[in-house]
Amino acid sequence: MSDDVLLRATDIVKSFTSRGKKLGARSVATAVNGVSLEVRRGETLGIVGESGCGKSTLARCLVQLLPVTSGTVEFNGATLTGLSRRQMRPHRREMQLVFQDPYASLNPRRTVGDIVADPMRINKVGTEAEIGERVRELFATVGLDPASLRRYPHEFSGGQRQRIGIARSLSLNPSLVVADEPVSALDVSVQAQVLNLMADLQETFKLTYLFIAHDLGVVRHVSDRVGVMYLGEIVELGEAEVLYEKPLHPYTEALLSVVPELNDTDAPRRERILISGDVPDPSDRPTGCAFHPRCPVATAVCRTDKPAFVELRTGRFVACHHPRNLDA
Amino acid sequence: MLSVRDLRVSFATRQGALRAVDGLSFDVGSKEVLGIVGESGSGKSVAMYSMLGLVRDSNVTISGSVKFEGREILGLSDREMQSVRGGDIGMIFQDPMTALTPVYTVGWQIVEQIRAHTDMTKQQARERAIGLLGEVGIPDPKSRVDHYPHEFSGGMRQRVVIAMALSCNPKLLIADEPTTALDVTTQAQILDLMLKMQESYGSSIVIITHDMGVIAEMAHRVVVMYAGRPAEIGPEVDVVRYPRHPYTWGLLGAVPRVDSKNRRLVTIPGTSVSPLDVPEGCAFGPRCEHRMEICDERPVLHGPGDHLDACWLSDAQRLAIRSARSVAGGAS
Ligand SMILES: Nc1ncnc2c1ncn2[C@@H]1O[C@H](COP(=O)(O)OP(=O)(O)OP(=O)(O)O)[C@@H](O)[C@H]1O
Ligand SMILES: Nc1ncnc2c1ncn2[C@@H]1O[C@H](COP(=O)(O)OP(=O)(O)OP(=O)(O)O)[C@@H](O)[C@H]1O
Ligand SMILES: [Mg+2]
Ligand SMILES: [Mg+2]
Repeated sequence: MSDDVLLRATDIVKSFTSRGKKLGARSVATAVNGVSLEVRRGETLGIVGESGCGKSTLARCLVQLLPVTSGTVEFNGATLTGLSRRQMRPHRREMQLVFQDPYASLNPRRTVGDIVADPMRINKVGTEAEIGERVRELFATVGLDPASLRRYPHEFSGGQRQRIGIARSLSLNPSLVVADEPVSALDVSVQAQVLNLMADLQETFKLTYLFIAHDLGVVRHVSDRVGVMYLGEIVELGEAEVLYEKPLHPYTEALLSVVPELNDTDAPRRERILISGDVPDPSDRPTGCAFHPRCPVATAVCRTDKPAFVELRTGRFVACHHPRNLDA
Repeated sequence: MLSVRDLRVSFATRQGALRAVDGLSFDVGSKEVLGIVGESGSGKSVAMYSMLGLVRDSNVTISGSVKFEGREILGLSDREMQSVRGGDIGMIFQDPMTALTPVYTVGWQIVEQIRAHTDMTKQQARERAIGLLGEVGIPDPKSRVDHYPHEFSGGMRQRVVIAMALSCNPKLLIADEPTTALDVTTQAQILDLMLKMQESYGSSIVIITHDMGVIAEMAHRVVVMYAGRPAEIGPEVDVVRYPRHPYTWGLLGAVPRVDSKNRRLVTIPGTSVSPLDVPEGCAFGPRCEHRMEICDERPVLHGPGDHLDACWLSDAQRLAIRSARSVAGGAS
């Protein structure tokens, strides 16, 4: 693995089997369907996609919180897939997950100060006084009053609890932070504080981020490169700037065209491409290209042949029979 | 159409009076889309629900005036209010299941709604329900009308709620975060549908959201709320392009954009004021970079023409601040 790649995922598949409605029937939902990607040291790779497309499942597979059905994950040169819990331990500290829903992950019986301090205590990263100082610092930077250290999670609003979760996950200065919708529950002004904070921390500690969100503005803002997911697959991946300006995949193009914008300049608005219908069920995947039933430019081949995920231009990957904006 | 004057809603809590809405005034014209924007807890929902008699908390005190087509509706009896709600005023909520009952088919629910407000027969109401479901883009409405809410996706359910809200040709639609729970492609479908319906039904819309982008797409005029009070009111274009209140500057500057390069987001220092402890003067004062002595007094809404703000800064001061910012490279 080349030195500048921190994490590499190859052909990750994750399926969930559930009992069907009919007696004895079982259905298999393939939440992640063959994802390959690399996260480079020091970069932010953004993953964007609509609800249910498999972002959280992919994140959990990458940090080994979920066993993959098939495929491999390499981290820092070591293959993680197949490691025992014990063998995983030294890698755990290096990769922290910021959860989408911090409610479940904050122990209601411990003070929020302890919650943020515990990972540092367990890993013995300093004296109790140093840890206390760092906790206060983390509190201040995530926009919480350090005077509230001794309070319990239930005394905080949803947004504040989210910030406590973020403070905790940043406490060990991991090399990779996988952030799964870390700001989705926050008001825009608080969101801006947290995004700026994450940018500062990244610079100071040379962190690598895998940043997952459904908000296209947030993802563009934070990311160096972006992967777009649809129904368990990455359909397009490339530099954030070019991907947003000249999307190759019709899904990316449609997605970007319908984001409500502020129209505060005279620049003409992108032409809106409304795609009809809903995202299909991952247990009932369409044939050929998974996007074809909703795609405005689909042809016969899209119904039968699954397009390969190829590097169409340097650094620009796409899985589509009819890529867009190629001449530009 | 709708005229709200000095609406105040406070809740008696153990920690004292919580002033959720504190002196809100605005008008909604015929066929106008008014957007109400503000952060969580700023009183957007309470303002709307109190107007419609939906805040029944025994600890609540509501004052002010709300006139709908010239008629005072604040303080109407439950029965009088029920004929207004769902009739002349339709409602759409963030969670469609607030408006739908899981145990009845969507058709049954729309039919009941229509029959409560009109004298249509069951058969006529059913025909209308099917027609409405088709209009809001439910495929195969003839068979879907007999389905239960859980058999629809989130976006489809919101379409059903819109069909229900439109069932009695309302003159005013109140939508509280109608697309917040939806994906962006579904959101686009729903916002598009709302605008189309507004056009063909000629109704006015009040849309509550925390998303400035949604406001920019939908609204003709905007009310920016902070801590239960209006910070700024004006035409959408003016508020988005030439925001006057420092809170609005922060709100707009904090939005990560899909249409521009990385830049540092503008943040508002501090945390939102507790609604139990709103200062007597300007509510935004404690977080405002441009705070002056006079800000201990409560500013009143004022301004040039129809673009109003509640801030003590003079036009000259604002101009100076904004040009200093654009020299420094700030976006707003
Ligand atoms: N434990 C599980 N058992 C069965 N199905 C699951 C499980 N976890 C996830 N899924 C399914 O896998 C798919 C992907 O889910 P996932 O939570 O990864 O999506 P997501 O992109 O994170 O969505 P969101 O934006 O709503 O968080 C969904 O269809 C979901 O229902
Ligand atoms: N029944 C109640 N009793 C006491 N306080 C209440 C009650 N209902 C609402 N509040 C308080 O009133 C304030 C305004 O709430 P409201 O729901 O209107 O906010 P909002 O602007 O709609 O926020 P959001 O964007 O989160 O929906 C909040 O501080 C809330 O806690
Ligand atoms: Mg998720
Ligand atoms: Mg609300």
